[in-house]
Amino acid sequence: MTGKTEAKSTAYRQTLLAGLWRENPVFRLLLGMCPTLAVTAAVKPAFTMGCCVIFVLVCSNIIVSLMRDLLKPHLRILMFTLTIATFVTIADLFLKAFVPAMSETLGPYVPLIIVNCIIICRAEACASKNGLVISIIDAVGMGVGFTVTLCILSGIRELLATGAIFEIQILALLKDGGWFVPWAAMSMPVGAFITLGLMLGLVNKVTNKEA
Amino acid sequence: MDTLNVLLMGFISIVIVNNLVFTKFLGICPYLGVSGRIDMAFGMGMAVTFVVTLSGTLTWLIDHLILIGTPLEVTRYVCFILVIAGAVQLVEMYLRKFFPSLYESFGIFLPLITTNCAILGLCLFINLWGIDSLLEAVVLSFGAGIGFTMAICIMAGIRENLNMADVPKCLKGAPITLITAGILALAFMGFAGMIR
Amino acid sequence: MYKLKHFIEQSWLLIAASFFFGLLIAVTSAGLSPRIEQNKINKRNRLVGALLPEAKNFVPLDSEIEIESLQGQKETVEVFKALSDTGECVGWSFNAIGPGFADKIELVVAVDKNFEKLAGFDVLASNETPGFGNQIKFDYFRDQFKGAPTEGLRLEPSGDNTKTDDAEIIAISGATISSEAVVDIISNAITQIKEQIKRKGLMGDDR
Repeated sequence: MTGKTEAKSTAYRQTLLAGLWRENPVFRLLLGMCPTLAVTAAVKPAFTMGCCVIFVLVCSNIIVSLMRDLLKPHLRILMFTLTIATFVTIADLFLKAFVPAMSETLGPYVPLIIVNCIIICRAEACASKNGLVISIIDAVGMGVGFTVTLCILSGIRELLATGAIFEIQILALLKDGGWFVPWAAMSMPVGAFITLGLMLGLVNKVTNKEA
Repeated sequence: MDTLNVLLMGFISIVIVNNLVFTKFLGICPYLGVSGRIDMAFGMGMAVTFVVTLSGTLTWLIDHLILIGTPLEVTRYVCFILVIAGAVQLVEMYLRKFFPSLYESFGIFLPLITTNCAILGLCLFINLWGIDSLLEAVVLSFGAGIGFTMAICIMAGIRENLNMADVPKCLKGAPITLITAGILALAFMGFAGMIR
Repeated sequence: MYKLKHFIEQSWLLIAASFFFGLLIAVTSAGLSPRIEQNKINKRNRLVGALLPEAKNFVPLDSEIEIESLQGQKETVEVFKALSDTGECVGWSFNAIGPGFADKIELVVAVDKNFEKLAGFDVLASNETPGFGNQIKFDYFRDQFKGAPTEGLRLEPSGDNTKTDDAEIIAISGATISSEAVVDIISNAITQIKEQIKRKGLMGDDR
């Protein structure tokens, strides 16, 4: 009995860690690029977006996992899409109600979580084939991996663009008597593409992967 | 005459000034995946243009005829994505029956288009910008598709040449494409302020 | 009959799920919408309250005000009357949208009770170039509009940095188009709204 539970908990730990590094959705699986580029101008919106994705991932994985035996094969994708759309609507309503400033900054990128490839891929690859617990753990792992990635990218961009992280000033700006001249290009599309490209290159180098 | 002016300005604006890929970060996944060769890129671009024009029109109609002003407004996202999925399905069936050669050349792209953020993104932007006339919505959707096609073909042209350049091993593939896209975005920024 | 049975057998899950999800959305929406509405009102109160400090209440006008935007389209504008706690009219506020350098600029503008002087403006939404057009949000630009007359606002290039009369607005250095956009949006909206309000005889206190 202990052997089985030990094997199970290793499997759980593996699944959890996979989402963080080995199968990191942005850096390794190259999924969910659109929100990665769009909301990483500052850390606050990136973190909010990450939390929304975790919420939607977990809820949709739970529902899909519960439904997995009842799904008709040709209606599968439709069911996934419907589930994800519902939870994204709920998440959007919560954002509008409790953090309206963030809701405005994120704008149309919150409903774009519906077509975020990460969620559909995890529903297809994992939740529709596995039990409830593994699905939840997988969702949490992927979601946290995504959030951490977003925060790293947005940390770099916000630091270079304004000298602050999460709106807390870290580098003293020139106009306030310091030395740092903000690099405005980082908060524009240019900065987004180039930062992500360089980070991907760095990850490739670290893992010695040939593209 | 005035309407024509608004439509023309709107078209140019969404193709060049507010290009969906370079300023709104939509459609990046297929952009990275399919921009390897010009013929594939053009095929993808045309497929996207076809679907986005159809979806933009349909979602505008549903929005204005059914959703706006009623309590059903909160189901907007669900309705939009279902309409888009349905439209893609319809286009696929129609093409398979009546234009089989075209269907063959589109290949796997057509089903992939449903998760293309550009389509849903455009429908949401049309809603966000408060576009009031059907004609304007159609023109903007078509323009968005043309803008995407233009962006992906430019990138395909560049990538075909990049294959012969000495790119560092860790940057090959997605990273160098993203960096090129960044430089292209910088170039397109020069168009800002063109439309007043 | 067989066809219907076959249809239901294939899609019962879809139909059941649609009902369930619809219910979920409806319940969430019903529960949260008062809060969402309140957020919108709070935001307006906060922004205009900073411009018109004596205002305690914002009352929307009964009749519709329609103006022609800078691009030639007709738009309805929501105009709010700002009342002090004694019911006296202390000013007016409205939203104005127009084309900026990169994208549309949305402003909330406040004027005094006779529509003679501007109490100021705040930027609700804009996508101007960071470091240049973005500075329309900064105090040194916005403060120039406080106390400026509502008629005859004009933009001066930023060469000579001193404001010689109230109707002059010095442009932001390197962002002439964004500065001009703000001046144009405000002038265009104020002229038309003022004319319509006078015509409808809505000025005066609410007792």
